[in-house]
Amino acid sequence: MKAFLPLFIGLVTAGLVAMAWVESGGLALHEMRSAGTPQEAVEALVTDIQSRNWDRAYARLANSNDFEKQAFIRDLAGSSGSLRTYSSLESFKVWPVEAGADDATMRVRLNWSSAVGPLDDVRDLEVKKEGNVWKVVWPKPQFAKVPPQVIPVNYLRWDVIGRGPTDDWGVQNVDNPNVRITSMNAVERPDRVVIVGEVVNEDTVPAYVNVNATLLNSDSKPMDQEGSFDMISHTLLPRQVSPYRIDFPGFHLQQVKSVRMDVKAMLVPASADPVIAVTDQKMDKDPLGKNVLRGALVNQSGQTVNIAQVLADYYDANGRVIWVSDGYVDQALEPQVAVPFAVDVPDDVASKIHNYHVLVNHYSIHEGS
Amino acid sequence: MNSDSSFPRRPIPLGVIVMIAAAIHAPLLIMELPARTSYDANFHMFFASHYAQHWFNPWNEKWFAGFSQTTYPPLVHQWIALVSRVIGLNEAFSVVMLIAVLLIPVATYGFAKLWVDERAASYAALLSVFAGTVAFLTYSAGQLPTMMSAPLYFIALSYFYRWSHSAEGGSLWKGVALTLTAASAHHVTLIFGAVLFALPVLWLAAMDGPQDGRSRVAVVARALAFAALSAAGVGIVLLPYWISIIQHPITQIPIPHASRSNLLMSAPIFMNYFIVPYGLLILAFPFIVIRGASVPRLRVLLLAFWVTFLIGLGGTTPFPKWIFGRAFEILTFERFILWATLLALPIVGLLVEEWVDRSGGRAMAGIGFAAVGTLALAMGWLTWSPFRPTGGLNVDAAVEFLNRDGHDQYRYMTLGFGNALPKISTYANAGSVDGEYNSARLLPEMTNYGAGQFTSAKYFGTAGMESLRAMLKHANHYGLKFIFVYDPYYDPLLVFAGWRKVETYNSGQITAWSKEDVPPARKIASDAMPAPWEGLLWGILPLGSSLLAIVLMVLIPDRVRAVDNLVTIPSTADEGVYAREARP
Repeated sequence: MKAFLPLFIGLVTAGLVAMAWVESGGLALHEMRSAGTPQEAVEALVTDIQSRNWDRAYARLANSNDFEKQAFIRDLAGSSGSLRTYSSLESFKVWPVEAGADDATMRVRLNWSSAVGPLDDVRDLEVKKEGNVWKVVWPKPQFAKVPPQVIPVNYLRWDVIGRGPTDDWGVQNVDNPNVRITSMNAVERPDRVVIVGEVVNEDTVPAYVNVNATLLNSDSKPMDQEGSFDMISHTLLPRQVSPYRIDFPGFHLQQVKSVRMDVKAMLVPASADPVIAVTDQKMDKDPLGKNVLRGALVNQSGQTVNIAQVLADYYDANGRVIWVSDGYVDQALEPQVAVPFAVDVPDDVASKIHNYHVLVNHYSIHEGS
Repeated sequence: MNSDSSFPRRPIPLGVIVMIAAAIHAPLLIMELPARTSYDANFHMFFASHYAQHWFNPWNEKWFAGFSQTTYPPLVHQWIALVSRVIGLNEAFSVVMLIAVLLIPVATYGFAKLWVDERAASYAALLSVFAGTVAFLTYSAGQLPTMMSAPLYFIALSYFYRWSHSAEGGSLWKGVALTLTAASAHHVTLIFGAVLFALPVLWLAAMDGPQDGRSRVAVVARALAFAALSAAGVGIVLLPYWISIIQHPITQIPIPHASRSNLLMSAPIFMNYFIVPYGLLILAFPFIVIRGASVPRLRVLLLAFWVTFLIGLGGTTPFPKWIFGRAFEILTFERFILWATLLALPIVGLLVEEWVDRSGGRAMAGIGFAAVGTLALAMGWLTWSPFRPTGGLNVDAAVEFLNRDGHDQYRYMTLGFGNALPKISTYANAGSVDGEYNSARLLPEMTNYGAGQFTSAKYFGTAGMESLRAMLKHANHYGLKFIFVYDPYYDPLLVFAGWRKVETYNSGQITAWSKEDVPPARKIASDAMPAPWEGLLWGILPLGSSLLAIVLMVLIPDRVRAVDNLVTIPSTADEGVYAREARP
């Protein structure tokens, strides 16, 4: 027993630790790091990116001589306070597109966790065999450079004065701006009821706007109340129109007798800056074959817009809003630089779209709100 | 040098050991170190502040739009609440923690004496003062209930042994009272302790009984009587807890915790949950196993240590998952390190005794260096750790904002405040939708996502941010109007969701955000609200059990054993024979 027990404890402990190590992916990680196949090479690279081990990730590239490590980091970790700088790579999936003896193309889907919600990024990566090891050919990062120029500042701005130091924001004892819902459409989706529509600020002053909806059942009793949350432009300039979308997960239209809409509006300070132009809009397919609305955003002001959100509403042939979708752009909008965007559109909606309208919300660090 | 009368050959008096513990820990606790450096100190003070104001009403409106404090045994919180009447909340926490820390060597001494001789037990008790896990749980984790419950339970086990072995009636009542007190401090310790600590002691009593002329059957019968009395007592004393846990079993999606991960996959986590709490005790592990296996009397203790050690490794072995099943995803495992250490210390005490006898001053110096090094590492880790908490954050401005101009009509949330959240909750009148106690959460915006607190949402990745989005979407329903941000990471989401920055504090470190169309908060109906009689029981029985234990300890002094109770510990052939006085 004197010798047996220590031996037993030692061996069982070592065995249990080894089992858990294999179960936790330790063995797979060890094999993957050897990069003996194209799959392992991409997985090893993305694992290093995930853990932000930039030195090791950069060393795994076949074309690391083509660009600086800093450019590689900037390409993945973002810059200028962009959404990517607020993101971390949570998971990924790699699968082959083409495979040869010495080169291959792998597709990787990167799932980022970000400050505004999950983001997906699909990239095709070339992989080359160098000796016994496969290495990834990373697309050379391209960063637009804009020549020095003067951007005149001539936008409109509305300030609100008379607010006391102890007043809450919005308490000004003045009439609320005149805001109206111009359209509302209840849409059935497989897992939810969605209310889409548009709201307009009909006043001559800017307005903070929020739209809430309450589903009423056959007894006209409320079943659920939800708000537009980030599927609206909360600050509307005079005469500006915003789409809105309100989701009711777990409900079906047949349960709903009517919908009570409620729009809240308040006078707020606002400015027309920055002006963000939307160009090259078109319906398209992404690499996975899904319908998307593509285009580019151009920040026409002189200040960087750190995070942009694209809100698009889609109309049918009768001019009725049939869907609203949104997407966050993970690059910062540097002045005068076009940044591409793509917003998902459900397949059944895409076939009915006759027209669309795109609005851009923005967040700038220097403004804060 | 090593004559019988020389210092190293005599047990160190327990009073001296307690004084050393006080000399080390009292200054650190009086300067309120855990309130600034630990994860849970603010949480326990928050619970205590509720009892200070609503002793008989465990329904607390300040977190989760209302939750029941019967979901957590109340004893340490109630003691803090009582003491806070005299010296304030922070110092009251420190005083109660100091009592727990001082009880650790007392408990180790009594428990170790069941297994080894008095001198070895005194070494074990002295080493417990320097144990990395004690410093880790006190200053880094701030787990006061675990720290209080463990020594109380180990002391109770000494009486359990004496009652089972010698049928001393006084030991029965003191043991049961201490068991109830330990359970009132921390139920989890009792549940796991019943297997990990009590079974080895029962085995020991059953082995020692026949050697001392007592019937083994009688020993086991007395042990069962002790267990039955304790179980019934715990059932009654913590009745509101059992009602709440039966009514709302923990079914939420598991929330990740680093202590559950495979420690070998991350160096900082390995450091935090293995190197720091065990310290240089790690070097003694092979000797603990060899020495524990070589003495038949210690084998069960060794096995108990080994099992507890394996559980304490969390996901580093599959063992805890096998034995706990789904409960693995609810438990945190750092407390098992304390228990494993306490179980190992009697064997370590024996080893130290042997080393000192063999090498005298050199051994003393080496062991002293290892002990101090272990404590120093645990204290240094408070500064070096990448997991530093934010409990020391100055939240006065946020509290002042919430307590003025009727802002407490609404609920609030913090983002990036980490464990400074309970500090705001303690002093602000307004309620929050967030909270730090995962087991009491019933709001679907929290339980459906597998993430912890909203204030730390980003650390839970997509699950955390989706959970936060779900709550922000329902801001109007909960009257959630104000959000305090200490981490600008959350600013973009608030801007896009319609909140506006209204005030800035601490030179821009903290910002206050508001959403204007939010109606005042209304009560959220909950079937988790305890009945008034439960509040009455909760306010009387746990504290009453601790008072009863104190009274019994004072009124029934421990009997001093005579020489005929000396037990011989079999030893290896080349070593001397050790004697033990079987007195707790």
